[in-house]
Amino acid sequence: MAKKLMKGCEAIGEAAVQAGCRLFFGYPITPQNEIPEYLSARLPQVGGTFVQAESEVAASNMLYGASGAGCRCLTSSSSPGISLMMEGVSYIAASELPVVIVNIMRGGPGLGGILPSQSDYLQATKGGGHGDYRCLVLAPSTVQEAADLVMDAFDLADKYRNPVLVLGDGLIGQMMEPVEFKRSTRLEDLPAKSWATTGCKGRERNIINSLYLDPEVLEAHNWKLVRKYEEMARTECRHEFWSPHGDADVLFVAYGSVARIAKTAIDALAEKGVKAALFRPITLFPFPGDALEKAAARVKHVLVSELSTGQMLEDVRFHLGKHRPVSFYGRVGGVIMTPDELVAEALKLAGKAG
Amino acid sequence: MPTVLVEKDRCKGCGLCVSACPSHVLAMSSEINARGYFFPLVEHPDDCTGCRYCVLVCPDLAIQVENKGKTTAPPEALTEKPMHYCPGCTHGVIHRLVAEAIDGLGVRERTVGIAPVGCSVLAYEYFNVDMHEASHGRAAAVATGIKRARPDLIVFAYQGDGDLASIGMAETIHAANRGEKITVIFVNNAIYGMTGGQMAPTTMPGQVASTCPLGRDVTLAGYPIRMVELLKELKTPAYLTRVSVHDPKAIMQARAAIKKAFQHQVNGTCYSFVEVLSTCPTGWGLQPHEACDWLRDNMMPYYPLGEFKTPEKGVVKETER
Amino acid sequence: MYDEIVLAGFGGQGVLLIGKLLAYAGMKAGREVTWMPAYGPEMRGGTCNCTVVLSGRPIGSPISKSPHGLIALNLPSLDKFEASVRKGGIIVVNTSLINRMPHRTDVTVVPVAANEVALECGSGKAANMVALGAYLGASGIAELESVKAIVAETFAAKPKLVTVNHEALSRGFALGREKAPAGAVN
Repeated sequence: MAKKLMKGCEAIGEAAVQAGCRLFFGYPITPQNEIPEYLSARLPQVGGTFVQAESEVAASNMLYGASGAGCRCLTSSSSPGISLMMEGVSYIAASELPVVIVNIMRGGPGLGGILPSQSDYLQATKGGGHGDYRCLVLAPSTVQEAADLVMDAFDLADKYRNPVLVLGDGLIGQMMEPVEFKRSTRLEDLPAKSWATTGCKGRERNIINSLYLDPEVLEAHNWKLVRKYEEMARTECRHEFWSPHGDADVLFVAYGSVARIAKTAIDALAEKGVKAALFRPITLFPFPGDALEKAAARVKHVLVSELSTGQMLEDVRFHLGKHRPVSFYGRVGGVIMTPDELVAEALKLAGKAG
Repeated sequence: MPTVLVEKDRCKGCGLCVSACPSHVLAMSSEINARGYFFPLVEHPDDCTGCRYCVLVCPDLAIQVENKGKTTAPPEALTEKPMHYCPGCTHGVIHRLVAEAIDGLGVRERTVGIAPVGCSVLAYEYFNVDMHEASHGRAAAVATGIKRARPDLIVFAYQGDGDLASIGMAETIHAANRGEKITVIFVNNAIYGMTGGQMAPTTMPGQVASTCPLGRDVTLAGYPIRMVELLKELKTPAYLTRVSVHDPKAIMQARAAIKKAFQHQVNGTCYSFVEVLSTCPTGWGLQPHEACDWLRDNMMPYYPLGEFKTPEKGVVKETER
Repeated sequence: MYDEIVLAGFGGQGVLLIGKLLAYAGMKAGREVTWMPAYGPEMRGGTCNCTVVLSGRPIGSPISKSPHGLIALNLPSLDKFEASVRKGGIIVVNTSLINRMPHRTDVTVVPVAANEVALECGSGKAANMVALGAYLGASGIAELESVKAIVAETFAAKPKLVTVNHEALSRGFALGREKAPAGAVN
């Protein structure tokens, strides 16, 4: 397929269709409206169904039903709406159902703002709703990667029977960049789901449930989920290490849109005689901690940058240990740092400021 | 002789005053104001009869009329801040009617308003009373909390169709059923404006919206929800009415209804709910005056105006309305 | 080559569209491109703007604090962005709706009566195309013919619009070219 100029949100919608998703449930909220708008026109063209739910609470529970019935399904929202969806997501995780959720983050807390932010990192990676569960979290940095990761998200959701969250922000969602859809899944090639509520003709009945009144049974279920998350940590960690100017003194750690800004800063720093590199987690849960440890071992300074007051920072500090100094530069509220700001921070660390 | 005073830099050039003037006193300028909009000029001042229709329909409070030594003035219950609404959007008119009711009953200093999520999310910038910003759909619950904590306060919720009739349906129905002594102003413009024109629970059959690009299909999305009719089925006493703001006469009726709704709260009588049919020129893709006609021709037959329930009479039959 | 351009006006003037045309032209010329709209709570009435970045290298931030170029279709846009334009940059000013000239003396100013020129081309709505043409003429950032080809694709269903828009682009281009700073590639 040829390259097209597309908004991140529209590319996400088309990627879902290409991944064999035929169901979308959602509720309007800025800055992700182009996902439901795109799919309201696109899904009927491929025999799919679009439902504008009455609320995000309802949308997440529609998703719960559709995934229980064995269909690839998607919802999308932005921060305040994602908070409302947490009820359904907890039930989905508990019932081990494959769904894909897109969060185009905006500034919070509360109603916050509508401009880009990364302030839902902790909610996304530490569970988000009630109970002991995790979502697998993917963080794209370009429109192309958003499309690629949405397709992967459906496969990973099916593989682990677990919700997969694609965590973007208003920048990724609203920006247009060239994009190419590299593969297309045929519905007949989708994995069979013997556990789904498809009618019990010719088999034992299937039950989708998250209620375990016997504490020992629930405990066993909790540990089973944990083993699944451990398996994800062993096999699904993804990251990008970008070091175009040789052995670096400063290592930026950033994901999503901040990572691309860091790349521009790294090139600018090279012109000023400071070698810097980027470690970009692509999976935020599981967090690529081992790879980060290796990358950090080779540099003098580690600089975490986020569009938050320091959320991923907690994971970076956890993996590098309390004796390793880690610096932080964050902008919040919808303000996006410029490459120059990151250059200035790195120069300070490298002792070349002023 | 009456004089029309135009504060030109408040104007957004919607032209509703020009269409509303029965004596063709006003015409749009060919130069632009500081905000980059064409604004009305008083072309034929001698023809002005002082009817004040232009004042009534102006959503931006940019027009006043001076007559017999008296000048119309913006209500005290509104701040002077220019509103962010799109040109020709009737939210500004409804804001003014609510503020006039508050002023008229002399309750400004003991009123608390609830702003919703939607186009009127910034209503707390415009009402010159204590305001509380609610999360999406929960205005009636927040209002319940305030009113139960301080029954002496006058509490109103100002909500759009998505906020009230979609995500906030449960809160709306239960506040009405409990008979909370609050006033709900429900602005129904048949679309989600703020987020870019998606289908609302009140979008008309066949009406195109950005999430029903082929028009609302009632076999998939159901029929538009008539909130007043739905609420009137509850046994709890209430004041339920539907009004419109598409022309000066309708605006005058809306003003009376909104005041009556607040009066019921002041008297401690009952829950009061005013559905106001409103326009969304941007979301509907129409010029402001065309949007008023569209409302009259398409919305009013489906959403009839009138009092549907009063605490005195109970449910009002259609023939009595 | 790294170019950041801010395009701004009221909602409804078609600034997002001309931004997309510019981004498309860049993409077809094999450059990295981003197009980023500024989005606010009001659907109409505020200033509506987008930033287009064209580059030979992967693009970091799709927004710009100091663009190389500005197309200002109304006064609030000129007020808001004039100061941010980089020294030596280009400002296209729509004099039909802007009643002042930029204060800056260290940039190339291209005044165009975009609405009047567009009317002469057959539709006042093509003012955005006149302004884009002027920017192309003054900056040489993309080929006029390439943008015209994209317009022809975009409006394939409405051939009348293609003619009007082509004419508007050409008229704007000529006006821009008169003001082109020395060294701009045309």
